[in-house]
Amino acid sequence: MSEVIVVTSGKGGVGKSTTTANLGVGLAMRGQKVVLIDTDTGLRNLDLLLGLENRIMYDLVDVIEGRVEIRKALVRHKKYENLQLLPTSQVKDKSAVNPADLMALCDELRKEYDYVIIDCPAGIEQGFKTAIAGADTAIVVTMPEVSAVRDADKIIGELGRSEKDNIKLIINRIRPAMVSSGEMMDMDDINDILAIKCIGQVPDDIKVVTSANRGEPVVGDNDSEAGRAYANIVGRIMGEDIPFLEFEKQGFFTKLKKAFGILGGEK
Amino acid sequence: MSKDLITIKGGKDGFRLLVDSSASMEQIEAEIKKKLEANPGFFPEGTKFELEVADLDRSVKKGIDQLLSQHGLGIEKSGKKAQPRYTGARENHPRPVAQEQPVVQEMMVINHTIRGGEEISSKSSVLICGNVNPGAQIIAGGSIDIRGTCRGTVHAGAWGDTNAVIIADRLMPTQIRIANLIARSPDNMEKNDFAERAYIKDGKIIIEPIER
Repeated sequence: MSEVIVVTSGKGGVGKSTTTANLGVGLAMRGQKVVLIDTDTGLRNLDLLLGLENRIMYDLVDVIEGRVEIRKALVRHKKYENLQLLPTSQVKDKSAVNPADLMALCDELRKEYDYVIIDCPAGIEQGFKTAIAGADTAIVVTMPEVSAVRDADKIIGELGRSEKDNIKLIINRIRPAMVSSGEMMDMDDINDILAIKCIGQVPDDIKVVTSANRGEPVVGDNDSEAGRAYANIVGRIMGEDIPFLEFEKQGFFTKLKKAFGILGGEK
Repeated sequence: MSKDLITIKGGKDGFRLLVDSSASMEQIEAEIKKKLEANPGFFPEGTKFELEVADLDRSVKKGIDQLLSQHGLGIEKSGKKAQPRYTGARENHPRPVAQEQPVVQEMMVINHTIRGGEEISSKSSVLICGNVNPGAQIIAGGSIDIRGTCRGTVHAGAWGDTNAVIIADRLMPTQIRIANLIARSPDNMEKNDFAERAYIKDGKIIIEPIER
């Protein structure tokens, strides 16, 4: 059964696009048919993270306005045949796409793909409302920082008002050493405030930046902590029957890491 | 259409049919049909409706009567008589009720977490079964009871009731207001694991632990 997932956060810079790219590649590596939709019209960059910029011919706005078929606008990933990207326009703005259009598009893509993942723009305005319209599941990305958690809380409220009840949380860019020294918010604090199901805790990792610059998401990289964390999230999304336990287990690992923070955390 | 053109109300003396006098016959006909066909068999055959409308054209009234009779229903002929009887009942009722019963205080019950950016405002007391997150605001005319953690801004007795209290399982609000007094949280908030109550004593907001 196919699933339409929107990756959102409210605040910018917490890693929505990075998460979208990694989940997309991760799911494709596991043999799923995946299409990623960039809805950040005017500020597109999901194509950059996937290293596909030079292959773009048409975009989301062309499809919505009926100039081309969806099939023609999809860009296939160079390494994973199962992964397609529907980029958006860099010249138009958010008003070029409305919620009903995107909902129809998702329903169309749902027939052919196992996962449709929508990269949502920052903010809670029209772009956000458009991005969430067709989604079954929302993944809220946040990071251990008061402003990011506050915005995530607001976004969860907004999703609730739009009757999106299946909401999951990814805590991104964690610095275990800072958490253990009390300089960064604790995972328990965040879960306590947001009170939604957490499906992943991703450590801050320089490999995320270097791999983004190369256009190769970190998820395939076993030497990277973030890469392994993303691979775990992919497993949980595919319903590997341990979501909550897995998180507890991971929480335990994080705590272990915290305990060895002095050894492992310093670079 | 923002307002229903046709409203059917059940009363002690039978059903009343309220018609918006601005509606045209076609609209009325369509609305009545829709209402009746939505619940076929809901109104037993022979049911009479009291017609309530400001100044209804006689032809329209006749039209409604015909339409109802097609469904085996009809209009109560004594529509005009029923009117004063009804208002009479309304005048007589409240007084004895108010004398017999003690003052009933209303309470607004919310069964979910109030997240940042949400605002709850009520003239009555408010009971929240969930958390009040930072950035959320609760304004109550009476008291506020939070069965969870309170991290937002809470204002009890917002219309001047200095007897209002604020209770939470874990009370660590951004700001606490009772009637016209304001207190803010200390800059380094401790995390308590017991319920607390805030109230006004000698012109100050006092917070004390409670059992519950």
